[in-house]
Amino acid sequence: MNKNILIFLSLVEISNKKLEKIMDIVEREEIKEIREVVDNKEIVNLLSTNEFANLVKKCNDRLFKAYLSNLENDNIKVVTIEEAEYPEKLRYLDDAPLLLYCMGDISLLNTDAISIVGTRMPSNYGKFVTEKFAGALASAGLTVVSGLAYGVDAISHRKTLEVNGKTIAVLGGGLNHIYPEANANLASEIIEKGLLISEYPPFAKPTKYTFPLRNRIIAGLSLGTLITEAGKKSGTIHTKEYALEYGRDVFAVPGNINSLKSELPNSLIRSAQAECVLDPEDILSRYNIKGVKNMAKAVEVSLDEATILKLLEDGEQDFDELSKKSKLPTNILNSCLTTLEIRGIIKRMPAKTYMLS
Amino acid sequence: MLSKLLSYGLTGIDGFLVEIETDIVGGLPHFDLVGLGDTAVKEAKERVKSAIRNSGFEYPLKHYTVNLAPADLKKEGPVYDLGIAIGILSASEQINNRDYKKYIFLGELSLDGRIKKIRGVLPMLISARSQGYQDFIIPKENAKEASFISNINCYAFENLREVVAYLNNEVEKEQFKVKTMSFEEIALSSVNKLDFENVKGQKMAKRALEIAAAGGHNVLMIGPPGSGKSMLAKCFSGILPNLTFEEALEVTKIHSIAGELDLNQGIITERPFRSPHHTATAISLTGGGTHSKPGEISLAHNGVLFLDEFPEYSRHLIETLRQPLEDGYITVARAQQTITYPASFTLIASMNPCPCGNYGSKDRECTCSPTQIHRYLSKLSGPIMDRIDIHVEVDNITYKELNDENKEEPTSKIKERVDKAREIQLERFKGSKVFCNAKMSVPQTKQFCKLSPECQNLMSYAFTNLKLSARAHDRILKVARTIADLAGEENILPAHIAEAISYRGLDRKYFSV
Repeated sequence: MNKNILIFLSLVEISNKKLEKIMDIVEREEIKEIREVVDNKEIVNLLSTNEFANLVKKCNDRLFKAYLSNLENDNIKVVTIEEAEYPEKLRYLDDAPLLLYCMGDISLLNTDAISIVGTRMPSNYGKFVTEKFAGALASAGLTVVSGLAYGVDAISHRKTLEVNGKTIAVLGGGLNHIYPEANANLASEIIEKGLLISEYPPFAKPTKYTFPLRNRIIAGLSLGTLITEAGKKSGTIHTKEYALEYGRDVFAVPGNINSLKSELPNSLIRSAQAECVLDPEDILSRYNIKGVKNMAKAVEVSLDEATILKLLEDGEQDFDELSKKSKLPTNILNSCLTTLEIRGIIKRMPAKTYMLS
Repeated sequence: MLSKLLSYGLTGIDGFLVEIETDIVGGLPHFDLVGLGDTAVKEAKERVKSAIRNSGFEYPLKHYTVNLAPADLKKEGPVYDLGIAIGILSASEQINNRDYKKYIFLGELSLDGRIKKIRGVLPMLISARSQGYQDFIIPKENAKEASFISNINCYAFENLREVVAYLNNEVEKEQFKVKTMSFEEIALSSVNKLDFENVKGQKMAKRALEIAAAGGHNVLMIGPPGSGKSMLAKCFSGILPNLTFEEALEVTKIHSIAGELDLNQGIITERPFRSPHHTATAISLTGGGTHSKPGEISLAHNGVLFLDEFPEYSRHLIETLRQPLEDGYITVARAQQTITYPASFTLIASMNPCPCGNYGSKDRECTCSPTQIHRYLSKLSGPIMDRIDIHVEVDNITYKELNDENKEEPTSKIKERVDKAREIQLERFKGSKVFCNAKMSVPQTKQFCKLSPECQNLMSYAFTNLKLSARAHDRILKVARTIADLAGEENILPAHIAEAISYRGLDRKYFSV
């Protein structure tokens, strides 16, 4: 397969199927120069008027060379489906992308990965679950794959980076268009310590059609997909569908039956489409990976702190409830909570709610 | 014939002496008023003419020239009406006694000769007193304001006839003299209407406000609509230490200039509470404008400025608060003049956690997209957050809590603790310009907030584990100092640091993602 021709064709947004057909022709006709692509009758017939016009516009040797050298300057590597670096798990899928634009450590493409996906607006519980699983799975050596969106995606990436784990973010647009923009800092950290990939050329803007498509790469890259929290109509459904189609595992963490944000995982568990997981260990044992045991440290707590911990065993509580039940004066309660939080024993959530971590 | 007498004008809260010179010569009837007056000053001639005639005096048809000296300072408002009228009466020899020259005349005239109230009497009197003037003739309605200033002789009149009779020694003089009153009498009689006793629950917010009052810290309250943020803020001024006489004078001065003084009370004894709406313009907040009035932040001087729905204020507006929050005054520069108003206030800001208000709420679903929340929170710039020491979350209270019979702590109890903490601070900062922990400079923070190794340990843990931003460091120290003062401790203990850290909600990352 001619890599340059493939890169050239990727500049025009042609669907994956069509691209495959064209590449067959390119191989058969032994096309070497980009000019020949535009001159080939058979290829032109496959293209729509728009696509053809676009292709002709971009068909300029000088500009194309500049594009290639720009990729190099930006440290963007292109991995095609025929190269050794291309992820094995993706290669044999029907709709595998023919090439991937990568920024970062491309050796991650062929590691054992698990994808963590879910809602963009997780509840306190969803945040807690996502952090717990991402942290444990990443420390056990799995690569955490997600989509750099708000919410569960970003939390997974962040937590993984925090425990010095490996993470891959799959973008719905080109590498120069980080979406949402607020995660730009996270993206640059991922480039440094993990891998950012996209099947689209760097200048391509994300559209609402490209996000569901990139979900297939998320599902395809990983051994299994974990859904921590998602609503009934969440885009996470696509990821789950792809994972099932590719014969990968789907895991779901159950939630309250009255929580809208746990509807998808709960219903997947009921319909047996997803395996119910209650602990990161459940996933790790599936792949025979040994988890990094967090040695339960015997923590020393004061009497007041013990009272608070006892109360929190009933689930998350807010400050006023704790204040009433513990009967501690506000200032002491406040400082105890903060001390416990600093030591990582409890967690503080928005609206001054606290829970055990 | 020529007459000269004195009046007074204001620029900002300071004043300048104005000399009213009146010359009457024969010739065609005409009235010239010179001396850089605004329209209200220029229209004085019509009021003065009618007032003189309707008071039963003579207004000879001659050529009048009235000059307000110094001629290069802009004069505003109807303050000079009375002075001009007396000038004319004197120049036309209807007043024979010459000792009117020692008085400063202030007052607006109505067409029937009554003397109407004016704004800014208090600052004028104080300013004139400092220049050595002691005798004043003022409108009766302004008498209350004047009654708090000692070492001056103020005479209050209802109409022009009385003034003339007085100057001609035709009446008993003492009856017009304004009696001085002591400040304490009035201060004691004032009652704060809102009491913390009536605020159910919200323990954390109350504690945060107590700390804020004790250390002069600015506060940001975050919570859904209807959680009682405004009520808490209104109660807040009640736990601040009482105004001293000097502070009260300063506050009254500003309110007097703005014409917002309650004339029945005369002096402001309670700390002001201002809550401009978020559609306010920058000038209404900072002061200025053609008639150079003090803005909301100056009216909140020595009191509380409450900005409800903080991110709804225009970004520009929020940024204008930066300098006054730092310096305690605002300098408004305009083409014609530059004025400095004091503006040392405690800022209480409140905001929803997201545009719909329900982010993080237990019983209501937030409908905002993450981008919306991000945009909403990003309105608060780093520099402005740098000036707010305490962030506290306020949550909806339940019906059960609302009907709880348990007594809440009353304002007076909290105030006692605050007063005690303030005393400690006054002692600590003796001899420096600072008077509360929040205003400590960097070297002072180093000096007074020494941390034991144990505390330092806690701090370093907190920074790594809670991902606090660097700007939080000094804020935490200052708040911890106040907490220690409230507890009556000489040194900052780990518990104080821990509590202070809990008031840095927005520095932590959980609002993002």
